[in-house]
Amino acid sequence: MTLTTESQKTIEAYLATLRKELRELMDEDARDIVEEIRAHILDKTSGDDSAQAVDATLAALGTPRQLAVRYRTDELLQRAQLSRSPAMVLRSILRWATLSFVGLLVFVLSGVGYCVGGILVVIGLLKAFLPGKAGLNIDYDPGHSFSAGFGAGSGPHTGHDPIGLWLIPICLVLGGGILLVTFRFGSWSLRKFWRPRRVASTLAVEE
Amino acid sequence: MNQTSPVPDAAEKWEVQLRKGSLELAILAALWTGPLYGLEILRNLESGSDLVVVEGTVYPLLTRLRTLALVDSEWVESDSGHPRKYYRLTDAGRQRALAMTRIWARFSASMSSLLAPLDEEVNHQLTTGEKP
Repeated sequence: MTLTTESQKTIEAYLATLRKELRELMDEDARDIVEEIRAHILDKTSGDDSAQAVDATLAALGTPRQLAVRYRTDELLQRAQLSRSPAMVLRSILRWATLSFVGLLVFVLSGVGYCVGGILVVIGLLKAFLPGKAGLNIDYDPGHSFSAGFGAGSGPHTGHDPIGLWLIPICLVLGGGILLVTFRFGSWSLRKFWRPRRVASTLAVEE
Repeated sequence: MNQTSPVPDAAEKWEVQLRKGSLELAILAALWTGPLYGLEILRNLESGSDLVVVEGTVYPLLTRLRTLALVDSEWVESDSGHPRKYYRLTDAGRQRALAMTRIWARFSASMSSLLAPLDEEVNHQLTTGEKP
C-alpha cells in the first residue's frame, strides 16, 4: 500500500507527538505502542487514504495526548520507575522472592552480585586508606609452596603484592561494574517476569 | 446536563460507565476462539454486539491486559506490508474470562428478576407507542 505523501505526513506527525507524550514510559513500551497505533492507522486507511479518511481515523483514536494519558497506567509507570531506582528494585525483588521460585532465584543471584561487588569496592577503599592492611598477597616459595591471598586482614603479610596501589582502581571499577550489572539484572528480571498486580486483581475478581 | 430532560442524559452517562465496565470482559471474550490483532478485536466487538467501541480506549486496555498477564502479544508479519500485533489469551486470561462470565451471569439473572415489573412497563410502552 502506498500512502499519499500528504497523508503520510499527517500520520507521522501524529505518531511523533504520541511518542513524545509517552516519554515517561520505558523506551521499549513506548516504541511498541507507537508501532501498534501505526499498524492500526495503516490498516484503517488501506482502502481509502484520502485526507478525510486519515483525519477520521486519527479522530477516532483521540488526540495524541488523550491517547497517551490512557496508556500511562500505573503498571507501565511502575515498570518505568523500576528501571531507575535501586531502592525500589531491591524492595520489589525482596517481595518477589517470597512469592515465587523465579523471584527467589533472582534474589539469590542479586545477593551474590551485591556482596561480591560490595566487597571489591570495600577492598579498594581499604587499600586507599590503609594500604598496609589490604591487598593481594602472593606467597611463593620455589619448590615448596604457593599460596595466593587476596583481601584485607590485620596479620603480617609474608608474600608480596605485585600490583600494589593499582588494586584501588581495579577493585573500584570491577566492584562498581558488578554492582551496576547486578542492579540492571534485577530491574530487567522484574520487568520481564514479575507481574506486580496479578495476585491482587485475581483476588478482586474472585470476591 | 440538559435542563428540560435530565433523566435521559443521566441514563446515557450511566450507559457509558456500563459499557466501559464490560469492555474488559468483551475483549477477553473476543479472544476466546483464537488470536486476533487490535483492529480485528474492534471489528469483532462491533459486529458481535452493539457495543460502540471507542478505538482510543481499546489499545490502552489491551496493553493493560498484557501487563496483567491476561493476554500475550506477538508481532506477526502480514501481506499488508507492516507487521501486526496479535493478542492471545493466557491461561490466567481464560480463567479470568470464565470467572467474569460467571459473575456476569449471576448478576444479570438477579437484575432480571428485580427488573421484571419495569420490563413489563417498558414493553407496554413500546407496543402502545406511549412516551413516558
